[in-house]
Amino acid sequence: MTQLQQPATTGPGSESPAPSVRQLTFQWAGGPAIPLLSVAIALVLGAIFVLLSGKDPIAAYSALIQGAFGTPYDITETIVSAIPLVLTGLSVAIAFRTGLFNIGAQGQLLVGAVCAGWAGSQFAGLPGVLLMPIVILFGIGGGAFYGGIVGLLKAVRGVNEVITTIMLNYTIVAVMHWLLQAGPMTAQNALGTPASTPIGAGARLPVIVPNELVLFSRLHAGVLLAAAAVVLFWFLLWRTPLGYQLRAVGLGSRAAAQAGIDPARHMVLVMAIAGGFAGLGGMIEVSGLFGRVYDGFASSYGFDAIAVALLGKNSPVGVVLAALLFGAFVHGGAYMQSHAAISSNLVAIIQSFVLFVIAAEALVRSLTRRRRRTPKPVEAIA
Amino acid sequence: MTAEMFLGAAVLAAMLRLAAPIALAALGGVVTERSGVTNIALEASMLVGAFFGIVAADRTRNIWIAIGVAVLAGLLVALLHAYASITLRSDQIVSGMALNILALGLTTYLDYQLYGTTGTPPDLPGLPDVHLGFLSGLPYLGEAIGGQNSMVWVMALLVVVLQLFLFRTVPGLRLRAVGEHPRAAETVGIDVRRIRYVAVLASGALAALGGAYLSLGVAHSFTDGMTGGRGFIGLAAMIFGRWTPVGALAASLIFGYGNALSTSLQGATIGDVRVPVQLLGTLPYILTILAVAGFVGRSRPPAADGQPYEIEGHA
Repeated sequence: MTQLQQPATTGPGSESPAPSVRQLTFQWAGGPAIPLLSVAIALVLGAIFVLLSGKDPIAAYSALIQGAFGTPYDITETIVSAIPLVLTGLSVAIAFRTGLFNIGAQGQLLVGAVCAGWAGSQFAGLPGVLLMPIVILFGIGGGAFYGGIVGLLKAVRGVNEVITTIMLNYTIVAVMHWLLQAGPMTAQNALGTPASTPIGAGARLPVIVPNELVLFSRLHAGVLLAAAAVVLFWFLLWRTPLGYQLRAVGLGSRAAAQAGIDPARHMVLVMAIAGGFAGLGGMIEVSGLFGRVYDGFASSYGFDAIAVALLGKNSPVGVVLAALLFGAFVHGGAYMQSHAAISSNLVAIIQSFVLFVIAAEALVRSLTRRRRRTPKPVEAIA
Repeated sequence: MTAEMFLGAAVLAAMLRLAAPIALAALGGVVTERSGVTNIALEASMLVGAFFGIVAADRTRNIWIAIGVAVLAGLLVALLHAYASITLRSDQIVSGMALNILALGLTTYLDYQLYGTTGTPPDLPGLPDVHLGFLSGLPYLGEAIGGQNSMVWVMALLVVVLQLFLFRTVPGLRLRAVGEHPRAAETVGIDVRRIRYVAVLASGALAALGGAYLSLGVAHSFTDGMTGGRGFIGLAAMIFGRWTPVGALAASLIFGYGNALSTSLQGATIGDVRVPVQLLGTLPYILTILAVAGFVGRSRPPAADGQPYEIEGHA
């Protein structure tokens, strides 16, 4: 056994309870090597899959890269695709940091979008300096409310957040059907996809890349809001007492309670903050891209966000990089489908492989730790 | 609005039709969670069941082979989940999410590669309807249950069988013991991992039947993501039905009735106000949240639900 040779750095004091697999999945240690490796493994598995379906994986991946980064326009589009993933990724990540599993970023984003879209058209006449903050606050507030419900139910009634978030994701979809098909927000002249009335000009996030630089770029000021959110996430978690407490709750709620931190209060707070991030993402989609709320838009951001947060190790920089990677998948995937005749859904398959590898990695580490933790008496003396 | 919109035979027939796939997924949920494994990949099993059932029907033109292939596909997804959550003891929610994304990506990918943008062939064999001749004379029942699809009856049968199995047989008792207190179960010689494997596999097969019913029984075709979250509604029905087969059926019927109403009340008005039928779609989710929070009865999961189990002396 190789463990025998290891110096016995672990004394009796290290008899801390083994971290659960869930904690390991959420907070995997080490540098960027393991995330990169898991993406590489997922890409190889994806290539095998393309081969099995009788296509050329090299053609597939070169089309994917070409589509995502081939021209300056594509690069800006990749960033546009990454913006909502950054916000929902932060939403999932901050919940993970506190030991909660937020499957509800999807629903929180949609509520944020609906609230922002409602305010944007309701107060459409206001000038931008007034309207923009209002719309941002509605987006964040809507998401925070929706996330807060989850935290409250968990804190007060002990309801598992996985169940509530799944249910609330579907609830808002049904509510949107009503709002946008035959409800108070329905646009009278909407043809095709049901939608809300357009938001006012002052609620639109402007395109920040001039036409002389990149023609017809859609890269809007939402990227600045997303960047601000990333900085806020970092500042909140690592530079404020609240952030310290949130991370303490995530590392072990019983120990945190011993230290006088009230886990229940923090559950509500962290889920509201998580919802606020996702809600801002929804507001950015409405104000930056569509100018109104469409029924059934943004169907998979919240689920991709789980992969983004896990791959980014719940760190601000990691979330941004993972979101850019998935944004490249999304935008490049469309090009791959039209130019290499390979369904853009290959991208979803690769994403699911990434998740599997992450889950398996946590396992490997939990096994090795467990083995090291239980030395035989002889080894302990040595 | 008329009483016909609420209680007409057509509404009742639609309720059963819409409840059946939810109930099948919910039965799967009951079996797996009673054994202590959370399986949110029921949606994935359903979707691959729906898709590969159609592919097999297209290739073999035999409905029985198609059903078999559908169940096999659902089993395969469940096997992956069982391996990840029982053998590897990895996070069951992450594994389930990965499988849901995989199933959606895989079926949409293969649908595009096999059938392009034209869709699945129109003349596929389907699951037969059961025409109950002796009911055809009766005015109400004849229309409500006289012509239901065979899978609806299979579902009803499975509810009874599973209810008896779980609560009236020794293997059923063992399965529940494993979900409540695996350590105690193992102490009396029950193979915890084996029972959990069987339960997760069974849940995949049941969900796949629900998916096959949607594609082979109702639509006679496959469209991308056609299960539309019914696996998740099945989980809701399981919770609302307090983790019992009969309860899950009752919950599925309530949800199915809500769905049926949203069709029959389309365009109906109270005074001048149009009935917001779309909001009926929120019924399953809100009822479930209320049930879990203890506002509508108290819905308590099996004690060891979702917790990986480490065999004594294994580490």
